[in-house]
Amino acid sequence: MASANSAEPSYLPSTVQGAVKVLVTGPFGVGKTTLVGSLSEIAPLRTEETMTAAGVGIDDLTGRTGKTTTTVALDFGRITLNPQLALYLFGTPGQQRFWPLWEDLSRGALGAIALVDTRRIGESFDVLGQLEEQGIPFAVAVNVFPDTVHHSEQELRDALDLLPDVPILHCDARDRQAAYDVLIDFVAHLHATAVLELQP
Amino acid sequence: MSGPVRPYVITGGRSRPSRNVLALESLVSTVPGADTGEAELNREHQRILALCGRLLAIAEIAAHLHLPLSVVKVLVGDLWDLGAVQVLPPATAVHRPPDVPQAERLPTSLLEEVLVGLRQLR
Repeated sequence: MASANSAEPSYLPSTVQGAVKVLVTGPFGVGKTTLVGSLSEIAPLRTEETMTAAGVGIDDLTGRTGKTTTTVALDFGRITLNPQLALYLFGTPGQQRFWPLWEDLSRGALGAIALVDTRRIGESFDVLGQLEEQGIPFAVAVNVFPDTVHHSEQELRDALDLLPDVPILHCDARDRQAAYDVLIDFVAHLHATAVLELQP
Repeated sequence: MSGPVRPYVITGGRSRPSRNVLALESLVSTVPGADTGEAELNREHQRILALCGRLLAIAEIAAHLHLPLSVVKVLVGDLWDLGAVQVLPPATAVHRPPDVPQAERLPTSLLEEVLVGLRQLR
């Protein structure tokens, strides 16, 4: 996917006092960068992080030597919410070999949107397990492709083994309004949960 | 960038920033006319100072300068120590101490502000 890294930077207004972030995660090819691009006010940017050999883990059983680091590309976007506050959206790889990066990426995140392609549902099991294990609040967003077969919410909840409090949303990640609805529904869920926890 | 430079060369062998409070979404801006004294700034430090005339997040700096995130954190940490940049911590860190675990409750006021902003932009 093309990124705008070489373009003149698009700066935040000088009135901004801080930023929050939401992770957009899921298996390879599920539409993370597409969703980030639909939501972002800037063309998605790409940055890289390196992982050391210790983090490569079980994937590296080939016995190759001399390879001590691996590079992960992260696509991200931005929304200026009001003159004081910005939101960053980080496309976060959902494969097990990238877990070593998650602690740093997820620290301070409001939560994560886990994109799921129901045509290959099994590819999402790892990332959903990781979100649960890390205690990151999340919603599942089914990215609806033209040949996606409709499943009832209960079928999806059973297939993905989701707890009752995890919202299941639907969108076409290419559609700005649909992408916004997913993000709004997710943040509304976080807000409702936080309000509920304030009750004595 | 004229060619690839190994991260540990750029950062003088350090792989961790001196201030680990820097997050991907921490916001950075150059302090105009800051006196960095005798400090030796390398080319990448200079590029960050030149880029951040106005506010950008750590992740944006990394993307624009084609440097790994961890390297940018180290370099921004140096510049912060020298008073050459200002850093705005993540909004969640302002609302709660940094040691509070991930699963702890998020502040409702911050979530409400995010929600209102998104609904207006939709």
